[in-house]
Amino acid sequence: MRNIFIVLKHEFLTTIRKPSFWVTTFLLPGMIILLNIGTQVVSQDAFSNEDQLIPGTDLSAQAENITHPQVIGYVDEADILTQLPPSLPAGLLQAYATETAANDALNAGEISQYYLIPADFLQEHNVLLVSQEFSPFNVGSEDFFNYVIAYGLTGDEMEAAVYTNPTFSVYSHDVAPQELSNGNDNGSPLTFFVPYAVMFIFFFLITMSSGFMLQSVTREKENRTAEVLLLSLRPRELMLGKVLGLSMVALLQMLFWFGGGMIALDRVQQMLDMLSTFTLPAGFIVWGIGFFVLGYLLYASVMGAVGALAPNAREGGQFTFVILLPLMIPLWLNYVFIESPNGTLATALSLIPFTAPVSMMTRMVATTVPVWQILVSLGGLALTTYVLVLIAARFFRADTLLSDASFHWKRIFTELRRA
Amino acid sequence: MSTANTPTIAVASVKKNFGQVKAVQDVSFEVYPGEIFGLLGPNGAGKTTTIRMMLDIFRPDGGSVSILGGELSEAKKQRIGYMPEDRGLYKDLKLEPTLIFLATLKGMDAAAAKKELEGWLKRLDLYEHRDKKIQELSKGMQQKAQLIATLLHNPDIIIVDEPFSGLDPVNTRLAKEIIEEQRQAGKTIIMSTHQMYQVEALCQRIVLINNGRTVLYGEVDDIKRNFAGNAVELEGHGDFASLPGVLEIRSQNGTHHLALAPGTNPQDIFRTLATRDGIKVERFEIAEPSLDDIFVAVVKEGKR
Repeated sequence: MRNIFIVLKHEFLTTIRKPSFWVTTFLLPGMIILLNIGTQVVSQDAFSNEDQLIPGTDLSAQAENITHPQVIGYVDEADILTQLPPSLPAGLLQAYATETAANDALNAGEISQYYLIPADFLQEHNVLLVSQEFSPFNVGSEDFFNYVIAYGLTGDEMEAAVYTNPTFSVYSHDVAPQELSNGNDNGSPLTFFVPYAVMFIFFFLITMSSGFMLQSVTREKENRTAEVLLLSLRPRELMLGKVLGLSMVALLQMLFWFGGGMIALDRVQQMLDMLSTFTLPAGFIVWGIGFFVLGYLLYASVMGAVGALAPNAREGGQFTFVILLPLMIPLWLNYVFIESPNGTLATALSLIPFTAPVSMMTRMVATTVPVWQILVSLGGLALTTYVLVLIAARFFRADTLLSDASFHWKRIFTELRRA
Repeated sequence: MSTANTPTIAVASVKKNFGQVKAVQDVSFEVYPGEIFGLLGPNGAGKTTTIRMMLDIFRPDGGSVSILGGELSEAKKQRIGYMPEDRGLYKDLKLEPTLIFLATLKGMDAAAAKKELEGWLKRLDLYEHRDKKIQELSKGMQQKAQLIATLLHNPDIIIVDEPFSGLDPVNTRLAKEIIEEQRQAGKTIIMSTHQMYQVEALCQRIVLINNGRTVLYGEVDDIKRNFAGNAVELEGHGDFASLPGVLEIRSQNGTHHLALAPGTNPQDIFRTLATRDGIKVERFEIAEPSLDDIFVAVVKEGKR
């Protein structure tokens, strides 16, 4: 017991002192967050016309809610804009007699862009848009100006709106029975975001912590430290110490992520308010710890066994993808958990022990999962983990830990028979 | 022979197979307190496997091992210091915490280990490097660090595999001093090495293993006496290497040392020299064989 504790402490301290731990704990999530923020900034810029006016509705009322109203210029060489939509806010469109005048206004920053309606518009149907910035997704603005042109031609707002968007007033309503969603608003972005976040967190926690296990075992083989250690403790004590020590590392990582997430959210009051409206299932944390611990033990024991058989980290790493493949499946099929969390595929994935840790937790935040399914999933996971820990312990022997033999699939069965 | 009556280590006819490979077939020896015992053999002879069986890392398929009067228990393991040939230290960790970690696994309290370690680090000129990662140390420094890891917990049994590897002459002398001190303190020491002159200098008794079997066992002086006549030393000119019955020739400062194959008589060599053209002999005498000669003779004989 003393030896297990010493190994546990050693594994914990050496792992958290490694730069790779801090990289995976902070840099990786940081990069994901930065990527997310970057995407938002780019999209905000690219879709700057989110402040656009929607044709066919009260444009004045909309204009009051626009954060940054921008004046749009136009040059009407075809002489079709004799009248503008009455609901159009005053000053939103600015007419210029010539393109030179419009261009000067654009350069002076008085307008953000201008439209040139050429004299042959009625024959060619082309309008030229001149803007200070290239905005590849600037579609909404064109819709708006099409509406203005349509009004100029028809003189009727409703008719112009129908020309621009024939279905603008059609709203869709689902008539099929809806999934139970923990009482959360199906239209809320959190209904998508929270399950997705939980899926990622569980995936990263289990893969990283079990990856540390592989590194730890192969490092001792490569350094030949295993030979010295085996004189002081039994192979299974070594394995147990490592598994427990690295589970502490994973829990610390979990603490950082959830704690850091809460601190970050605290600064974004709006997000926190939204989250407070999101209901997690009863006992979610308890279930979460249960699924995480068992999932970690399952994958860490398999990784430990691979580390015991592989002569070095490089050869062991070649098997990592195959081993972690079941954990990746829920990520690839993430839409299944968002769109149909109680469907056959999502349910099956949450009951299969190898995919259960990520799948079941994702389902639990996406919908109401029957308790019997959670219990069956957890029971199956516990049983599988127990069997795999026993098998891994059989691989964790002196002769395998001191062997330089290369690692291949056939050897797994050979060593299993020898155990 | 500075031995007591009860052996600290008794290895009796141990065997170990790895699949079809017979790593050790029949090895026996005893080691006593207060002696440095040489465990010798060519590469792949089964030395490391024998050590691992002694240390209960491998279970023997046959035979028996007795340590400190019986089977090796967990408590007894803490009384053993083992220095494997390949340095068993974490290369990416700092020196001091690594050595303390290994000492705590041997039952030492971390604070006591740290206190004891300071003296060892200073003695072996590693104190200034205690906060460095082991991979940043030179090969010789790593070897000295490994020696500290072996001795820090003050073991009663010390097993060192190639203890002088990578050490310069000054540090080799220091390591020899330390090993000799441990012997004088009554420790039981097994040393495995290919440096035969170190074995001659330090060991009282040896066992030579070849092809997994004990082929020589006993006191170094007795073994050398038994092999007397298996080497001649001569001065002169000519092709001495082509003489029949000569296993190996070493030449230094005009003196040629000829190791003879078992069964070859120095008189036969003398007669051949006298009858050969192109050979001039100025001095001829029967040499006491070195352990190196004996090692070569026995191993080459085993290959026949």
